[in-house]
Amino acid sequence: MVYDGILLSLLIGFFRGGSLKGLAYMKLRGGWLFPILLGIEVCIFLLQNKVSMIGELSNALFIIIYVIGLVFLWMNRHHPGFIVIFAGVLLNFFVMAVNGGRMPVSIEAAQFLGREYIEALKAGVYGKHEAITGATWLPFLGDIIPLSPPYPRRQVISIGDVVMNVGAFIFIQHLMLHGTNKEATSVQTLHEGR
Amino acid sequence: MGKSFLVLLLKIFYKMRVVYMFFLTYLRSKNYVKAYLVMICLLGIVTFIWKVNFRAQSLEDWVLIYVLSGSILLLNNFLIHLPPKDNSFSMDSAIYLASMFLYGIDLTINVLLISSVIELMYKRKMAWWKHVFNFSMYCLMLVGAYYSFILFGGTIGKVNTYNLLPYMISLVVYFSLNIAFMLIFFFISGQIFKGTFDMGVLFESVVSYFVTLLLSLVLTILLKEQRYFGLFLFTVLVVLLSFAFRKFLYLYQDISERANKDHLTGLYNHGFFKETLSEQFTDAKKLKQPFCLALLDLDDFKKYNDRNGHLQGDRLLQFFGDLLKLETKGTNYVVARYGGEEFAILMPNTTKKEAFSFLDRLRKKVNDTYFAGVEHVPYRCLSFSCGIAEYEKETYDSGELIHKADQALYYAKAQGKNNVQVYDDKNISLDAITFKEDLDTLEQQLKIFLSKDVYTYRHSKRVFKYALEFSEKLNLADHEKQTLILGALIHDIGKIEVPRDILNKEEKLAPHEWEIVKKHVTWGKEILAVEKRFDDLIPLVELHHERYDGKGYPHGLKEEEIPKLARILCIIDSFDAMTTERPYQPTKTFEEAIEEIRCCEGKQFDPIYAEMFIEMIEENYLKKHRFAAT
Repeated sequence: MVYDGILLSLLIGFFRGGSLKGLAYMKLRGGWLFPILLGIEVCIFLLQNKVSMIGELSNALFIIIYVIGLVFLWMNRHHPGFIVIFAGVLLNFFVMAVNGGRMPVSIEAAQFLGREYIEALKAGVYGKHEAITGATWLPFLGDIIPLSPPYPRRQVISIGDVVMNVGAFIFIQHLMLHGTNKEATSVQTLHEGR
Repeated sequence: MGKSFLVLLLKIFYKMRVVYMFFLTYLRSKNYVKAYLVMICLLGIVTFIWKVNFRAQSLEDWVLIYVLSGSILLLNNFLIHLPPKDNSFSMDSAIYLASMFLYGIDLTINVLLISSVIELMYKRKMAWWKHVFNFSMYCLMLVGAYYSFILFGGTIGKVNTYNLLPYMISLVVYFSLNIAFMLIFFFISGQIFKGTFDMGVLFESVVSYFVTLLLSLVLTILLKEQRYFGLFLFTVLVVLLSFAFRKFLYLYQDISERANKDHLTGLYNHGFFKETLSEQFTDAKKLKQPFCLALLDLDDFKKYNDRNGHLQGDRLLQFFGDLLKLETKGTNYVVARYGGEEFAILMPNTTKKEAFSFLDRLRKKVNDTYFAGVEHVPYRCLSFSCGIAEYEKETYDSGELIHKADQALYYAKAQGKNNVQVYDDKNISLDAITFKEDLDTLEQQLKIFLSKDVYTYRHSKRVFKYALEFSEKLNLADHEKQTLILGALIHDIGKIEVPRDILNKEEKLAPHEWEIVKKHVTWGKEILAVEKRFDDLIPLVELHHERYDGKGYPHGLKEEEIPKLARILCIIDSFDAMTTERPYQPTKTFEEAIEEIRCCEGKQFDPIYAEMFIEMIEENYLKKHRFAAT
């Protein structure tokens, strides 16, 4: 879903006459954090069913990754859209935190994703997700929104994901349409000052 | 629809000034506004707590709630602009209503909560209490609409096209509540309404209400048939429409800007200025706020043009226009190019002292600003002369204000240019020769009465004589004295247009005849307005039949609203009318007339001047009579 959103933003950005040049000027504070977090997350996915210790700690690890991610977003909140991404991640984080580190998924919404998926979900071993039950807190913040045709992919997402995507959309639109202009004007004023 | 409806309603109630003014005096207090806001907010929040239920919704319902809230946020962002003015409205009410018809009040209230919270977070420029007020208002509107829908037999969850009554009723309730809440708010909060009540605007808003109503039914059917796709279609459609309308709006604004602005300087043009002036003037009059008008004239612009050429002259005008714009930035002043090298500044809420200090500072700044070619003008620097006139209670139309500012400007020019003058009666008195000339001209005009109505001729002459004597006694500036005397001579000139039969009729006048007689003040004004130098006399001619208690004609002004000189002239005029023989009334002696004037003090006449006039008559006439008698 996140990648779909970014792709869509790029397409619309081109459509509105933006360019990728702006992306080059993107300056993020603590930008190095991002790939590392992604790497750790992938490692946990791969290893949690093989190494039992990581499996036990995975919930706590996810929470820690989320917290670092949130700090990173907060540090960059002056960029347009980042505060919205922050809000989205916070929503996801919140529902995971109150449910022991796992994202609750609605079984009804996930029906069409396939039997194996549902089984894995119910067994509690599928990635960072778990099924919504009567004991789940704040179920409406979980993965309850089914995406199905005409949307090209089948997926279940949460409201936090949607908000996150809106933020990413705003940020990419800003980079593609206004990112370069800023540099140009600052050069010009320097020139005039002399 | 909250904020956008607010704007729309503001436009309507802007127009309902008359009713509003009545309330203003009673309700103009911050406390009422606060009390009202707190009351509505409490009411709304209590209703919300009563109706809200987070657990009643299934997860599927929550998906619906998210989607509905998302659509509402989109629609609030993409408003529909109506080109004639910058009215805009949002279609969010259509979604709320459709959701209420189909899914009931619980779910709709949750949608309202989510979209309100997000609006609160991302429209941080809007004061938080406005968000809360909006939320509460919507709560009450929705609950009201819901129960009226149920009451009239509507069923939640299906579209019943055989019984449209409950839909209609609940729609009407929804919008009536909206209008009522906003109306009360505007009445209490005391915003200034411009213009008069305008059916066009009302019609416009009714149309936009209707569009929303019908769309809510359309959306209900769409949602029922194809839940998400229906909503998607609706939202996309409205967003696209919003784009299209926005283009129209820009086009319209562009054109109207061009019509209102002066091409060269980018300031407002003469026509727009006049329009704004008369609007602001009525506002200042109603609200009793200070209000100033300044006329600026570039000094020796003709010489500058002659030496540097017209192209350079245009550049100077442009430059000066930019300067004025820059200096008035951030104020509520309206700057216009009044004529060739004449500029005008409208200063609402400004006293003449403030206006003077502002303009004098501006003048010095202009003096210090170099512009190519100023070496060739006498002062060797850029300069302007300026006249300021402040609105006073006695100023009765905007033309008079312009005239005063113009006179002050002339005086400033006469004082050697490059200075700022505030209008003052003392400064503009005519010299003896001009006064004599004016007097002669007016006498010539009056002579026409010799053949038509000799009574009016003699009456005018006598009033002139009394005015001459009375003005000596009054503490008036020279110019005011001259104005009173000239005005007394010419005050009945409009009677030229009244048929002789009516003027000399012995019986009581028929209503239509009386209407004709009443018109003589207006005709007189028109006759005098032909010559610019008599502009000062116009108030005397037009208003000498106004009464102190407001029951006179032509405007029904009262007390201080009537110019001082017109009040004085009214006394003299009436005194002579009482004491002279007329075909239709018995003559009074001077003593009886004095009694009569005393009686009418505070009703027809200004008590202070009436008393002074009586004193003057007793001194100048009655003593002599007694003398003669003994």
